[in-house]
Amino acid sequence: MSPWLLAPMQGAVALMLAPGLVGAIRWMKARLQSREGSPPWQPYLELRKLFAKEVVVSSNASWLFRAAPFIVFGSAVTVTLLVPLLAVPLPLGGAGDLLVVVYLLLLGTFFLALAGLDPGSPFGGMGASREMTVAALAEPTMALAIFALAWGVGSTNLGQIASRTLSTPSEALAPGHVLAFAAIFLVTLAETGRLPVDNPSTHLELTMIHEAMILEYSGRYLALIEWAAALKLLVFFSLLGNLFAPWGVASVITPGALLWAAVTLALKLLALGGVIALVETHIAKLRLFRVPELLSASFILALLAVTASFLLR
Amino acid sequence: MVSQLSVGGSTLVLLGGLMMLWRRGVAAHIGAFTFQSVALAATMAMVGWFAGDWQLWAVAAALLLVKGIGIPLLLKRMERRFGSERELEPYVNTATSLLIGGLLVLLAYIVTAPLVSVSRLPTRTGMPLAIGLVFVSLFIIISRKKALTQVLGFLMLENGIALLAVLGTHGIPIIVEIGVFLDVALGFIVMQVFVYQIHETFESIDVEQLNRLRE
Amino acid sequence: MRALFFLMVTGYATGAAVALGLGTGPLARWASGLAAVVGAAAGLGLAAGVCMAGTGFSLAAPDLLASAGGLAFRLDGLGAVFLALTSLVAAPSALYGVGYSRALDGRPAQRQAGFMLNLFMLSMSLVPLADGTLTFLLFWEGMSLASYFLVMTEADRPEVSEAGQWYLGMTQLGFACLLGAFLLLPAGGPTTFVHLRAAAAVLPTGTRDLVFVLAVIGFGAKAGLIPLHVWLPRAHPAAPSHVSALMSGAMIKMGVYGLLRIGLDVLGGGPAWWGALVIGLGALSAVLGVLYALTEDDLKRLLAYSSVENVGVIALGVGAAFLFQSLQMLPAAAFALAAALFHAVNHAAFKGLLFMGAGAVLHATGTRNMNRLGGLIRGMPWTAALFLLGSVAIAGLPPLNGFVSEWLLFQALLPGIGASSPLVAVLMVLALGMLALTAGLAAACFVKAFGITFLAIPRSPEAAAAHETAWSMRTGMTMLAGACLFLSAASFAILPRLSAVAAPLVGLPAPGPVLRAGLTLQTPDGLAQMSPGIVAASLGLVVLVAWVAVKRFASRRPLRVGETWGCGRVVQTPRMEYTSTAFAEPLRRIFAEFYRPTEDVSIDFHPDSRYFVQSISYRSAILPWFERYLYAPVIARIRLWSERVLTLQSGSVHAYLAYLVAALVLLLGWLVVTGQR
Repeated sequence: MSPWLLAPMQGAVALMLAPGLVGAIRWMKARLQSREGSPPWQPYLELRKLFAKEVVVSSNASWLFRAAPFIVFGSAVTVTLLVPLLAVPLPLGGAGDLLVVVYLLLLGTFFLALAGLDPGSPFGGMGASREMTVAALAEPTMALAIFALAWGVGSTNLGQIASRTLSTPSEALAPGHVLAFAAIFLVTLAETGRLPVDNPSTHLELTMIHEAMILEYSGRYLALIEWAAALKLLVFFSLLGNLFAPWGVASVITPGALLWAAVTLALKLLALGGVIALVETHIAKLRLFRVPELLSASFILALLAVTASFLLR
Repeated sequence: MVSQLSVGGSTLVLLGGLMMLWRRGVAAHIGAFTFQSVALAATMAMVGWFAGDWQLWAVAAALLLVKGIGIPLLLKRMERRFGSERELEPYVNTATSLLIGGLLVLLAYIVTAPLVSVSRLPTRTGMPLAIGLVFVSLFIIISRKKALTQVLGFLMLENGIALLAVLGTHGIPIIVEIGVFLDVALGFIVMQVFVYQIHETFESIDVEQLNRLRE
Repeated sequence: MRALFFLMVTGYATGAAVALGLGTGPLARWASGLAAVVGAAAGLGLAAGVCMAGTGFSLAAPDLLASAGGLAFRLDGLGAVFLALTSLVAAPSALYGVGYSRALDGRPAQRQAGFMLNLFMLSMSLVPLADGTLTFLLFWEGMSLASYFLVMTEADRPEVSEAGQWYLGMTQLGFACLLGAFLLLPAGGPTTFVHLRAAAAVLPTGTRDLVFVLAVIGFGAKAGLIPLHVWLPRAHPAAPSHVSALMSGAMIKMGVYGLLRIGLDVLGGGPAWWGALVIGLGALSAVLGVLYALTEDDLKRLLAYSSVENVGVIALGVGAAFLFQSLQMLPAAAFALAAALFHAVNHAAFKGLLFMGAGAVLHATGTRNMNRLGGLIRGMPWTAALFLLGSVAIAGLPPLNGFVSEWLLFQALLPGIGASSPLVAVLMVLALGMLALTAGLAAACFVKAFGITFLAIPRSPEAAAAHETAWSMRTGMTMLAGACLFLSAASFAILPRLSAVAAPLVGLPAPGPVLRAGLTLQTPDGLAQMSPGIVAASLGLVVLVAWVAVKRFASRRPLRVGETWGCGRVVQTPRMEYTSTAFAEPLRRIFAEFYRPTEDVSIDFHPDSRYFVQSISYRSAILPWFERYLYAPVIARIRLWSERVLTLQSGSVHAYLAYLVAALVLLLGWLVVTGQR
């Protein structure tokens, strides 16, 4: 099988799994809270509904408002082509490494924030301002965690980082690795808008960040943005899963290996989703000005990860 | 293998100290101290296993009993008597404290590098983190306002020194360790008396109130 | 190449002459602008020729200013990069200036503006060409003075004259330091850089260190490194926009050029603390620059502080090059330097574009205050689209050129973590963290800059009435936008040239570390790779497929335009939108320890009842650390001494005559004393 077919295949798998992941987390949270909850495939039904609905656009909005969902969606899908979802020798590995992934996601956030400002609603402005604050403060942590990982391998290339852990399994429990995992986990909470940073199911004006930016969207645009948010969650989870515990990822591109890779990916996603569901059920949302404390804590974890790598060379 | 475990253990111990900077509330602080002492006992036991030194096991057990169980119980009792007052903001806010903590760890790394290069033991890799804990504990003592938190900072300082000793020399003679324990216990009792007196005089254990003694 | 050199000089000189001679109408404007464009094109050609051919260009003119030693010109790789950068910004600025200065038609200021603009561009182009102390300092000072006059074009506004004072003071301070640095390099005989290099090789270390420190102060003042940046946020908003574009895009890079020329070329690099000093100043400038930019409401001041930030980022790369060279990590040093040079070129392109966009906004609405703008995307669609491109580029987002140079800088600093000295490793970790923080904050800053200025509802009648700008201004901006796209797409071809320029400066043989593998960029050890082209293509492909799929499979119902929903609120007025101050408020609170914001709220109640509010006035200010705690005491001290010296000027003729006689007596006495020995 040609390696070039792998990239679109990864993209397709990601697109298919992402809403299911969101649905699974919601279902698990509901069960933990002793509620019936909607079935795990609910987001698929929601997407289908949204695509069929009418689109209403604010009279104050410009072309940017209608273009932004495509850019956000496009950047999220492009990222899925670059991360080691299924196989490790990535065909596009020479095009983008971990830094490209992080900054492509920031591109999506940038345009989403602009789209929040466009209709001129104060909610959009508030969401945009808060989102950019959180994103800006999460950047140093992400960078240091990436460098803690990269330094051991000598490169920020995702395929190489995953291969290194595959070839020396004891590396997975190295203190630097574990700390980097913890740091990236906290950043995941911040970047994907999960508790305690942002509540994905709230619509109270004082508590929303992501929801506030997309308040004016409807129909197909909203569908694209929701799908992109689910993809972002999937990407972060796959980074956490496949960089730190890459077993199951295919090293040869045969249908059997790829199928096995997809199955292990789904399992890792469910496991991480379970952890997130537990965390969200137990913790209350932090007020916005306590979020920098959380991000400082994750920065310190990343710093310790880099230090641990120094100490063990 | 030993190096990795010693770095891992020291990191957990240091994280206990950093948790003091992050969480607010004396209950959380006592929890951080308990976590740190347990991690320290585990690290000592691990070093004892690899060095084949049963004395370290004994010290680890004593540490667990005294600092992992005994002192937290005593502190919780103290907290129940005095802790009903409001949260006090530290001198430096949380995010900045964490960043300063991080910088102190980096400083410790720079300062300890010559020491690490001289030692031949496999556990030497964790030493900079132990010195980092010493610096962070000193920072906790000077930047927090509640006397209980300062006592905890002092106890963490002890932990840091013990960790450094274990990693740097694979344990210290048990006589010395007992002597150190007695020292700590005495210091602790003295501090308890002080905290009680402070509370009696000022109806609060805010150490800033001691400034009023000048008048 | 001699032909190109003379064409460049002639072009600018003609432009200057024409501006003076042809009056103050459109003819003079157009003629001087086009002559400048010709000059800039020739400059670009000269630089490209040197880069491609690999051989330098030199021209000696010992007859000019022969009494002082004559002028000499030489263009090598390093100079070519900066000449290319200057010409890249000069051509669009000149074209833009044609449309922008239409407001000055019929006024004598038009003559001065055109003349000084050409003189400015000429001196600035000749600085990288200068070979030798006299030539360098002559054109350096020419550049500074010409830009001073350009800043003072609209001198009737009070802020402009204040800005001019700060600017003049800082440039002269820098010049004094540079003079000191050059004079410390032994001057016996000719002073071309070849001779200076040889002379510097035998200098004692103490003098070398002093020369370096003076160079850092002098060139740092020009570049805008903290704490010598205070003139930037004053001078850039005061100057006409194409001049701001030139200053930010090209002139401050001359500071970087000077530092590289003196520190790396003439002095040949030095101990590790040199690099550490530059990295420290760079990291500080980067973070503080963007923090100050975030709280600005004035669009041009925001862009000026953003220039401080980017100069800090460039300085990080330059400092890393110095540091790695002193540690004998030569390929890493060359890589870091190439990354810094690329960022300098990129910044010239997008900052020039952004300043021109800001100028267009100012031209159309009459205000730079973002709290009074908004909704301009409707009235000025071209400007908005180009400004958006510039914002995405400067925020360092893939796949544009800002991201490419940021990626390169990250990769260049990474080997430092593996250095044997723990101090260096820790410094690199901190520098990387601060670089990442800067990148994130810059993205936030430009969401604010673009979003508040161009999107949503106009916040004032001037903004509502905005119209698109003249086509010359738009063409200038489009040229720079095209440059941004080109720099990103062709990065795989440009980087190897920059590597070839950087390598001899750090001591490696000519081709330097390999930075390219086919169409991708890669680090010298070949382990990390990136291709902006492929990323852009993938992104474009995905967006296209998504768009087609959505069109095909989603609902056919037509799009309906309605009121902003806003959670069911009925009326939407401009007063309800987020303002620029509001956008930055969370960050202002988080960094309150740094900003030390002061707030002043005064409420006017209705005379009859305290329950009715007539007006609320809110004023907020942040603490200007450097002006208050560094410059104010220094200025106060200087003023004190000046007043003491003032007592000498008693106004009495007798006193002055007495001074003359006293001086004469002292001189004679001294001659007697020294003659007797």
